[in-house]
Amino acid sequence: MERETIARVAKVARLNLTEEEMERYANDLDDILNSFSVLDEAPAGESYSFNPIPVIDVLREDEPAQDIDPQALKAQMGTYEGYVRGPRLS
Amino acid sequence: MSDTYGLIRYAQTKHLAFTEVAEGLEDGKFHFSAKDNLCADGFQARAGSAVLDGYSPPFDATCIGRMKGSGGQLVGKTTMDEFGFGTFSTNSAHGVPLNPFDRERSCGGSSGGAGAAACLIPGHIALGVSTGGSISGPASFCGVVGLTPTYGRVSRYGLIDYGNSLDKVGLLSRSASLVARHFRTMAGPDPKDPTSCAQPALAGKGRMPSSLAVPREALQNLDPSVRSSFQEALGKLKGMGMEVHEVSMGSLRFALPAYYILATSEASTNLARYCGMRFGRREEKFDQHFNDFFTGVRSEGFGDEAKRRILLGTFCRMVGFRSRYYLKSLAVRQLLIEEYRKVFRDHDAVVTPTMPFVSPRFEEIGRMKPLEMYGADVLTVPPNLTGMPHISVPCAYVAGLPVGMQMVADHWKELDLLEAASAWENVFEYRFPEVSL
Amino acid sequence: MKIGLEMHFQLPTRSKLFCSCPTAPAEPNHNVCPVCLGYPGSRPALNRKALEAGLSIARFLDCKIEERVWFSRKTYFYPDLPKNFQITQYESPLGTDGHFDLNGRRIGIWRVHLEEDPGRIKRVGRSGEEIAFVDYNRSGIPLVEIVTAPDLTSPEEARALIDQLVTELRSLCGLEAQDEQTVRVDANLSVGEERVEVKNVQGLRNLEKALRFEANRQSKLLAAGKKVVRETRRFDEERKVTTSAREKETEEDYGYIGEPDLGEFRIGEMARNLELKETPLARAKRLVASFGIGEATAKQLVLTSHSLTDLFEELCLHVPPERAVSWTTGPISGNWAVLQDQAKWPDIVRIVKDDSEGLINDTEAKRRILSLAGVQQEAAVEGGDGLGKLISDFIDEHPEVLADYRKNPKAANTVIGHVMKESKGRYSSREVVEGVRKELEKRV
Repeated sequence: MERETIARVAKVARLNLTEEEMERYANDLDDILNSFSVLDEAPAGESYSFNPIPVIDVLREDEPAQDIDPQALKAQMGTYEGYVRGPRLS
Repeated sequence: MSDTYGLIRYAQTKHLAFTEVAEGLEDGKFHFSAKDNLCADGFQARAGSAVLDGYSPPFDATCIGRMKGSGGQLVGKTTMDEFGFGTFSTNSAHGVPLNPFDRERSCGGSSGGAGAAACLIPGHIALGVSTGGSISGPASFCGVVGLTPTYGRVSRYGLIDYGNSLDKVGLLSRSASLVARHFRTMAGPDPKDPTSCAQPALAGKGRMPSSLAVPREALQNLDPSVRSSFQEALGKLKGMGMEVHEVSMGSLRFALPAYYILATSEASTNLARYCGMRFGRREEKFDQHFNDFFTGVRSEGFGDEAKRRILLGTFCRMVGFRSRYYLKSLAVRQLLIEEYRKVFRDHDAVVTPTMPFVSPRFEEIGRMKPLEMYGADVLTVPPNLTGMPHISVPCAYVAGLPVGMQMVADHWKELDLLEAASAWENVFEYRFPEVSL
Repeated sequence: MKIGLEMHFQLPTRSKLFCSCPTAPAEPNHNVCPVCLGYPGSRPALNRKALEAGLSIARFLDCKIEERVWFSRKTYFYPDLPKNFQITQYESPLGTDGHFDLNGRRIGIWRVHLEEDPGRIKRVGRSGEEIAFVDYNRSGIPLVEIVTAPDLTSPEEARALIDQLVTELRSLCGLEAQDEQTVRVDANLSVGEERVEVKNVQGLRNLEKALRFEANRQSKLLAAGKKVVRETRRFDEERKVTTSAREKETEEDYGYIGEPDLGEFRIGEMARNLELKETPLARAKRLVASFGIGEATAKQLVLTSHSLTDLFEELCLHVPPERAVSWTTGPISGNWAVLQDQAKWPDIVRIVKDDSEGLINDTEAKRRILSLAGVQQEAAVEGGDGLGKLISDFIDEHPEVLADYRKNPKAANTVIGHVMKESKGRYSSREVVEGVRKELEKRV
């Protein structure tokens, strides 16, 4: 795996990698993906689904309810004047 | 009862099976533990990750709520690989559990602490979670019964996600009857997890499997002692009146890559939320640009294997690679389900050893490359990928270490597996380590 | 000029798209739960009403509807996005290949899909160094995204499309009036070959401004022999200009995967079984076809009120349509506040019928209708002068309206609207419309 690729993947995933990590993970991923190339031999398959069992039309009725006190959640998040604080935007 | 609490403390201190335990036992309740990726009011839920340090969910996972509702006391949270990423529980930020039979060896993973607790504490029921073999593996290495139900049988509400299309809550214990009783407690639809609402009702009683299939492909690359133990166990199964047939399942070779691709693709999105703003490890350096802020928290908070899997999963779903890896793996999963179905037309269950070797020493694990570690899941991944229920039971002891045997049945047929596991206990005697408090 | 729109409307539900938190306004971070905060261990469950509303819209826009759909995770990192992925629809929208008729022109609809809204950010601190204060009340609010083909030809037309679409969707599925805050639009605009995307414009007025600026910018570039660069731009509400979005934001790789927590939905049958309400413009079309009345009249009727149109249809069962039109748009609509009471309808029908059959004359019929509405006729007569004065006073005070009217007769609507409002229903809409037309024509 090229350095450029692993650097791009790390950036998309929001991970800082040291030079040593960059090289190590690139080698690991190379090993892993090489061995995974056996998948190319698998037949293409006509359909796919996102679950191993059929999960169809499971819907919730439109009834408002809150079973956990939002104050407890706010307390966990450390809010300021009710707002959750976050980092700089630009 | 005080003995039980003593054993819980012993499992915590001598074998690092628990990250947290209750202060004492309550009268008149049965005791159970939960893997640390299951949320419970009053306990932290850190899923083996430093990025979740401080996360105290104000709610109970549905499975925990149901266990409490049927008279159980949650006595502790068990150690695990970070987010379930591992086969030996060595990727944990909160202690690496030590094997009950030999403290130099692994409990298996990722529900390693659950395996150790189930083995060390008689009458204990440990809730585990399996994505690719994280219940079977520890059950095998710790010499206990481990049931991984069908995908969608037990609600995942309150489970900290690894791979949402693969994760299953299950149970580990010394005996099949205990597992069966509490499996019934936890199973059933839950509106808070839509994927649990597709299940058929549990039958009153299982049907004892009469015809077993052994896939030829699964017997390659086994440790010789595991191979011969397994052959002997097959002999005992025949003695119980079951037919054993060798079959071929050519697609099994695609299972491991398809599993790792789907699991890491899903995991890399699930772990995107850990960014230091709302829960777990929180950061206050708000003068940083959000990308740097997020990147900093994530780079410090995630362990080595978590980073590897995030990178792998992010790669597999990126433009240009997505169809070759991610979409192909979805198709391969369907292919494997069909292949299992074909076998289940003529047979009631598929039997293999659970792990290709007995529990390795930590020093051996330290020398393994990531790909070798992934390869250790080769026998547990196929049923996990396809959502098939499976059970691991001890079937031999090699130099004092347990060997596990795994039985896989068609979707929703957990009770058949539990019938078989109960009957097995009549022909094979389990051993547990002597503990002196 | 070619313009295509991606419009986001909030669907009319009481609870959020994937959790039961209320959608009603509340203090910051009050309508939140583990699901819409993305807490580890929580998971989504789809709101039936949101799916049905989305499907009604897809069917209304005559979209092709697949049998089976699912949701996808769009992964990107931003402080307003609790999971750092948004649950949306990628490969499988609710509908594709539909259309909407805008004043007789067919505007292509590429797709209709559902997605969750992120939270809302309040920027705090010095300009350029603002940090995020986030309110997650909006996180998980159900949105429908409607994407048009680049069939629109001017910023005005783009705005008209949204206006009319919202009118239709309001009566179709109870979509709320989209004020400046709630409608969010991404627009593609090309004057020449290359198209430019203007992202995240909030509100109709801003959209029209953003598009005007962008059209102008591109035209100038082309006139100067320069090239338009294909890019994403943002609309700066303060400076009223579009600016190039930083490259960083455009190179995000969303890495879409299926959302395994929701399963899939067999929407084909669900959509076929939905009963669609007749929308105002669709009803106007039907009125034109069934009763042979003019299109303008039909639109005036349906946009005034659904129930007034009901009465019109009822009258048509007894009298010729042109009589029904003149009474409903005349004295009846002028006193609709009282006459909308359905208990009075049999009397109205009898009066109009008697008039039409010559049993009574128009003056008597009008007197009876007005007395049914509790109005003294003297007042109505006196009102005649009052109407003329109201109209000419307004035009005197707003000479720009007259100037507009020279270019576009639709400017008359400004005067009509004002007078209708001021006179509080003393005059029928037909009287007002005719009075305004006459006065404006006189002055032009």
